[in-house]
Amino acid sequence: MRTKRMSLVEAPIDKHLRIVDIAGGESVRRRLLAIGFHKGDVVELDSAAILKGPILVRSSLSDMRIALGRGIARKITVEVLDGRP
Amino acid sequence: MAGPDAPTVIFIGQPNCGKSTLFNSIAGLKAETSNFPGTTVKHTHSRVSIEGRLLDIIDLPGTYSLCPSDPAEKTALSHLFSEKPDLIINVVDASVLGRSLEFTLELIELGWPMVVALNMMDLAEKKGVKIDPGKLASLLGVAVVPIIASRGRGVKELLNEAFKTLEDAGKPGARTWSRDVESRIEELARLLPPEFPLVANRRFTAVKMIEADRLFCDVMLGELEPGLKAEVDRVRLGIESGRSAPAYEIISAERHHQALKVAEEASLVERGRKVPWDRKVDDVIMHPFYGYVILAAVFTAFFFLIFKIGNPLETLLLKPFTSLDQDLGRHLGSNVLFHLADGLVQGIGGGIAIVLPYFVPLLIFMAFLEDLGYLARAGFLLDAFMHHIGLHGKSVGPFILGFGCNVPAIVSTRILESRRDRIITSLLIPFIPCSARTTVILALVAFYLGPWAALGFYVLNILLVAVLGRVITLFTKAPSPGLILEIPTLKRPSFRNILKKTYFQLRSFLAFAWPLLIAGSVFLSVLQAFHVDRTINAVLSPLVAGALGLPRELGVTLVFGFLRKELSLIMMLQALGTSYRDLLTVITKEQLLVFTVFVSFFIPCLSTFAMLWKEMGKKIAFLSAALSVSVAVLLAWIIRIVA
Repeated sequence: MRTKRMSLVEAPIDKHLRIVDIAGGESVRRRLLAIGFHKGDVVELDSAAILKGPILVRSSLSDMRIALGRGIARKITVEVLDGRP
Repeated sequence: MAGPDAPTVIFIGQPNCGKSTLFNSIAGLKAETSNFPGTTVKHTHSRVSIEGRLLDIIDLPGTYSLCPSDPAEKTALSHLFSEKPDLIINVVDASVLGRSLEFTLELIELGWPMVVALNMMDLAEKKGVKIDPGKLASLLGVAVVPIIASRGRGVKELLNEAFKTLEDAGKPGARTWSRDVESRIEELARLLPPEFPLVANRRFTAVKMIEADRLFCDVMLGELEPGLKAEVDRVRLGIESGRSAPAYEIISAERHHQALKVAEEASLVERGRKVPWDRKVDDVIMHPFYGYVILAAVFTAFFFLIFKIGNPLETLLLKPFTSLDQDLGRHLGSNVLFHLADGLVQGIGGGIAIVLPYFVPLLIFMAFLEDLGYLARAGFLLDAFMHHIGLHGKSVGPFILGFGCNVPAIVSTRILESRRDRIITSLLIPFIPCSARTTVILALVAFYLGPWAALGFYVLNILLVAVLGRVITLFTKAPSPGLILEIPTLKRPSFRNILKKTYFQLRSFLAFAWPLLIAGSVFLSVLQAFHVDRTINAVLSPLVAGALGLPRELGVTLVFGFLRKELSLIMMLQALGTSYRDLLTVITKEQLLVFTVFVSFFIPCLSTFAMLWKEMGKKIAFLSAALSVSVAVLLAWIIRIVA
């Protein structure tokens, strides 16, 4: 069953999300790969974004966090994983 | 620098892995160390003797991978390949093991002798992760030594292991990837002509040709080996066809999955632990409301530090130099010898009494914030604000450093990935009131016009930076790529670590900036002895007296101001032939304000200018100077009209 897809900016907080697509320029994609964010990874949003500010993303597997500017977060598509908190 | 007798050991790791902490604790181990502050702030050579055995150790800037994306990472890589180390020590943050091992696997592909320093074991355990170093070593095929660099634990064992690996000279083998990828890489490796300039080994070269930045690699290959370029394109396409993703992404994903698997096999995760303290603290520090309250408090503390510690210390330390200067004047009269001695005393005194009282507390404070991991959090909080001036949160770190001193702030812009962001940030940094300018503002504005005027000056200064940022970005076409910033785990700052960091930076100030200050001071004193200052005043008179409406005697102080901003202040009294107390009898309050504004902005100081030139090139350095002069003249005019 396919779940609804959305951009990381619209995703709910504290839910397991799977990255299904990373759009954007090559340099941004390379940067995300190097820092450890890949397509297929499970991530969580850590806190509500400050008005127009960046968002905090936690990688569930390696337990590290990055701050992403809204422009970049908008280009990352995720889906909410079912049956998990 | 590497002698023939000492093996070269390179420390490499991802940002925030505690690599420099480890490096400092090793470099500070034995008396026979010589630190070369060298050309970069973050790349240091040290020769150390450990139990009679010599090692040349090199600390490189943090890098996430061997495909560099910012200038700091490029420095790291060019040194890695040019030094041809006998041993790599890969420092790994155990608390984010899965992610860190991606880089470890990439380093292993080099096939060079290597030891993994598994750092921050304590943090990992606090997170509920128990790592088995033995298991990890057998999975990776390289030695793994658990350490806690901030407390100096495991460092001795690490060095023993390093010597052992140096003797064995055992080379690790790369892990193979999925069949479809691996077979194509083998194919390209075989196709490389025998005389081809290999990097590390055949497989590594082939991998890099496929995954490295296409622009660079393709242009070079297209020129040198057009036939081979076609083969690389074919192999790359072959890899991409099976997975419908760019080749660099596929290769990165291979490492990613292997790293996660290794990490999972080597560690035991305790489930159901309560939320650790740092998460709770972080929730407050990065809170949409309290976060800003804390940020404001931190900045207030920052200025409190400058005002309340630096200022009284300065007065205390200046006393002996002032009286020495007066004694010299009495004994030597006013000949060339006096001017020489005067310059020397001013230079030495300036370093000790003016710079150190502000510099040292600032260094300690900066080291504290860095150690805690606060700079990244400030970047997160201020990202939205920075977007208004055309930048993003990652520029916050360099800006904060700029309040201490503009010079290291400009070096630190290397962490910015895009050249556009680097240029804008470097152009704005010279407008940040550094500790030297804070001295001028305090001594003139706060003393004669009151503390509120000084505070107003500060606020307007920051507003000016914002406005300038806005204006500069009007001229750049490409938008900023946006913020991608790792938020490292909050750490309890270690006192030892902070002192060490302060000491190392202080030493490079004493070795580099101070002699420059003394030499410049002596040189200008000699100019005065031969009355060259009168000529300078005459030349600058149209600007000083004409445009700014100031006494023409102040012309020469501007030259001093270029050397160091505080010198303008010292020389101002000397030039006007008055004392601190009677200053307002010679010039008006309005003139005082014009002078302060002009001195603050009219040009980046010599060291900042030199660093801009070195880091960003001649064009940017002169652009910055031109920008400063125009802004200074404009502001001075506005004040003349308004006041």
